[in-house]
Amino acid sequence: MSGQSWASRKAAELSSWLKAVTQRRRVEQEMDAELEFHLEAVTADLIRAGKSPQEAARQARIALGTALTHKEGMRTSLGLRWFDELGADLRYATRMLRKSPGFTAIAAGSLALAIGANTAIFSVAKVLLYDRLQIPNAEQLKMLRWIGDDKVIAHHSWGDFDTLPDRSQTSSVFPFPIFREMSLHPAGMESLAGFKEDGMNATVRGTARRVTVAEVTGNYYDTLGVRPQLGRAIQLADETSSESGNVAVISDGLWSREFGRSPDALGQTITLNQAKLTIVGVNPAHFTGAKNVLESPDLFVPISLEPLLTVQREKSSDLVNPDFWWLNIVGRVKPGIPETEAQQGLGVQFEAVVRALATVKQGDTIPRLQLVDGSRGLHWADRMFKKPMMVLLGLTGLVLLLACANVANLLLARGAHRQREMSVRMALGAARARVARQLLTESLLLALLGGCGGLLLGYVGRNVLPRLLTNSWEDFNIRVPFDWAVFACTALIILATGILFGLAPALFAARTEVSSSLKESAQTTTRRRRGLSGKALVGLQIALSTMLVIGAGLFLRTLTALDSQDVGFNTDHLVLFDVSPPAARYPAGKDVALHQQLEARMAGLPGVAHVTPSATAYLAGSMSNSDFLPEGEKVVKNKFTAEDFNTVGNDFFPTLGINIIAGRGFNAQDTATSPKVAIINQALAKKRFPGVNPIGRMFRADRDDTQLIRIVGICSDTYYYTLRDSPPAQFFVPYVQQKEVHGMTYQMRTSLSTAALAPVLRNVVQAVDRDLPVTDLRTQREQIAATLSIERALAALTSGFGVLALSLACVGIYGIMAYSVAQRRNEIGIRLALGAQPSQVRSMVLRESTGLTVAGVAVGLAGALACTKLVRSMLYGVSPDDPTTIVVGAAVLLAVAIVATWIPARRAAGVQPMDALRHE
Amino acid sequence: MVAKPEEKQTELLQGTLDLLILKAVSLGPLHGYGVLLRIQQISGEELIVQQGSLYPALYRLEHQGAIASEWGDSENNRRAKYYRLTTAGKKRLDAETEKWNRMAGIIAGILSATPGSL
Repeated sequence: MSGQSWASRKAAELSSWLKAVTQRRRVEQEMDAELEFHLEAVTADLIRAGKSPQEAARQARIALGTALTHKEGMRTSLGLRWFDELGADLRYATRMLRKSPGFTAIAAGSLALAIGANTAIFSVAKVLLYDRLQIPNAEQLKMLRWIGDDKVIAHHSWGDFDTLPDRSQTSSVFPFPIFREMSLHPAGMESLAGFKEDGMNATVRGTARRVTVAEVTGNYYDTLGVRPQLGRAIQLADETSSESGNVAVISDGLWSREFGRSPDALGQTITLNQAKLTIVGVNPAHFTGAKNVLESPDLFVPISLEPLLTVQREKSSDLVNPDFWWLNIVGRVKPGIPETEAQQGLGVQFEAVVRALATVKQGDTIPRLQLVDGSRGLHWADRMFKKPMMVLLGLTGLVLLLACANVANLLLARGAHRQREMSVRMALGAARARVARQLLTESLLLALLGGCGGLLLGYVGRNVLPRLLTNSWEDFNIRVPFDWAVFACTALIILATGILFGLAPALFAARTEVSSSLKESAQTTTRRRRGLSGKALVGLQIALSTMLVIGAGLFLRTLTALDSQDVGFNTDHLVLFDVSPPAARYPAGKDVALHQQLEARMAGLPGVAHVTPSATAYLAGSMSNSDFLPEGEKVVKNKFTAEDFNTVGNDFFPTLGINIIAGRGFNAQDTATSPKVAIINQALAKKRFPGVNPIGRMFRADRDDTQLIRIVGICSDTYYYTLRDSPPAQFFVPYVQQKEVHGMTYQMRTSLSTAALAPVLRNVVQAVDRDLPVTDLRTQREQIAATLSIERALAALTSGFGVLALSLACVGIYGIMAYSVAQRRNEIGIRLALGAQPSQVRSMVLRESTGLTVAGVAVGLAGALACTKLVRSMLYGVSPDDPTTIVVGAAVLLAVAIVATWIPARRAAGVQPMDALRHE
Repeated sequence: MVAKPEEKQTELLQGTLDLLILKAVSLGPLHGYGVLLRIQQISGEELIVQQGSLYPALYRLEHQGAIASEWGDSENNRRAKYYRLTTAGKKRLDAETEKWNRMAGIIAGILSATPGSL
């Protein structure tokens, strides 16, 4: 209104309302006192005017009217009325929900599950698939990749390597000298920084442990735009001066774990692969390095330490060898330059540098340089988790839909039951808006209950889910922050459903003529419409459940197929652990001697039956391969002649329980000085020596090496790095006959548990070298389970969703059939009175629900067939249209429908004709 | 001082009660009954305020911040709630008085129009 500004008036209203709400009792007392004073004053005036006291009091009361109405008006003025009504609505809604605990539990429970599952899975998916590096302007960060044909120059590489469907090869690693040359004046780029992450042994505060280390160039921190939270970063000066360069910046995680976030950490010394490094800085908390967004390396060190820290793989140091590809490169495009232009300029420069520095042999091709999005690092998690996460997202979408359908169905059915109540309320003078508000309050209260449950589930679930996806012995902590945006989004969807379907009955009621629904039974007027939408919802529930059940079936069958796979060796009581001696302390030859010493000491331990070190653990997702060139076979250039192999101890075959089928196994006579021997498996014998006895044949394992190796035995086939392919061709060589072996995985057949073994092993190893840790102690079974963790998680989650879907569908079918029977009580009574048998009535009801179920299952099957094609590559031992799964799935649904209909059907058959006819 | 028989009094125009209350209180703090009496007194007993609508109106004005209340002693030593005009209420009273006067002038002008004056 004019004169008094809108804002000041609203402020006054708000403070007055707050005062009224908080001091309600005083407000009420004052109203009473004020009205009483008014009466007294009027009475006094009347007496003065000559009335008798009684008459005066009577007239005063008549003049004022009902105090109750005035007070209501006064409360309305204070804005208290809607508040009071809300309170009444809430009290009533609570009473209604408490009166039907079954309905409340099912509705709130399904809401909670849907909200919780969605929140958890979307939160995890966001971190795994969408979160960027926590650095300034991460979206501008570019990773360098190359893509080339199968004759690409990068013969020796260490890093990611992918062969695309068109046989072109792509990788993100480069030789250091090529990086150095390009980074001096990178075309179109602000700067280029190099890094490499690797696992190493560190002794921090006296304990030897395995750590992840990022070796970084001096401009790494500047390029990423990151400053340490304490101390200084790795600088350009660290790379050039060998004296001051023995420094490390530690991660926030390591700082908390080992130093309790004390600033004294600066200046302390860490032993890393025998090199002494001084801590000069601590990274900010959310910095994870440029490689990935999930987990930070523990230490960041100058890349100039590379020769000191890591295994020398080639003849010259990795830092000067232009033919060894191993360094990841990251950079930012110069502002104002289009990305395509930068890529082109950098590509030209790259090709020139490669031609100038690398050894280009005849036939070698130079790959093409690509600038790819680096905002999420190397995206390795995408490759691993994208598909399973997408499947899970799809599944949770279905569950969300299912929960919505369930809530809608429950609310509709309930609304229909209460149609009469609504009519009575309106007949007594309640406004339609008032009735709608009452229903809305109930829906919202229900949604609130479900939302609280969902919040709890989502909060817990987001940390459980990553644990399902990773293995148990590695300290791999994916940080999944609770995502309020996701929670709010899911909660809003559910809330909207609740409001929509909670209000629908109220709107029906509003449209119904009050008198008609009071006069007749409420059912007849609205039965058609209600019946149809309710059945459609239940049909939808059945269809969605069918999809989830079939999905669960396929993933379960995949898991059992993989789990029950005979791996080719005995996995009982087989324990694995790693020992990785640093190359600086154990150069070629010394490492072999170390493993021999350890093997001998461990073989003598009580409770240990067999032990063998091997270069590669089985079914752990890793593999080695090498040339396999039988003597007399012509070497064809560029022909792929490599086979899988493993470098093993003499006791390897007995330890794993692999049978020697022909020839002999390795034994103590096979030593560093004895003639070189190898054992091949049956698959290799069949593949490379068809129709020939391979025993006694010679082969070379390197085309540049002249040394011949004699095949002395054939062993049975085993799986190697994955269960998904058939057992590959393999050959085995004794590690004692190798020049160098570096770190090895020990396989041990023992009656001891890993927990009992841990201190024993640590003692044995540290008796030899106190800086050498025993890492990744696990059983072979755990190792296999870990490679199946994604399959297991998918099977567990889809089964969980399937059961959830089934129970929701069960409730839905029961609800709709019970409702239908209640509505047809009259009709059923007449049928029975006219001579229908109870069994006929029962089968009539069962038929109705079966028809509904069959329709739902049919729709669901069509949907399932369309969706399961998308996950074909994730299945194993079962096709996407597996008939068994489909038949069993459909049968389960039908069985559930019959069980859910049984009680209403029996109730229908038990109707007493006279009761039913008198009922209305 | 009691209300006269009703037929002799004028019904209050819709929406004018707030204005009258503001005016009454602007002359000095009053309790609810006092407001009623003052309006009747100023109007020369011509206007009657329905007692039922008085208190909701007082509460509404106070809620909106146009008047403020305080408990005090009445003329016969009883505790009574006294209302007084606030600064915001004063502004509102001035604005609405002006609006009312303009409106009254316009309507009077229209009503006094004769065929000759058009």
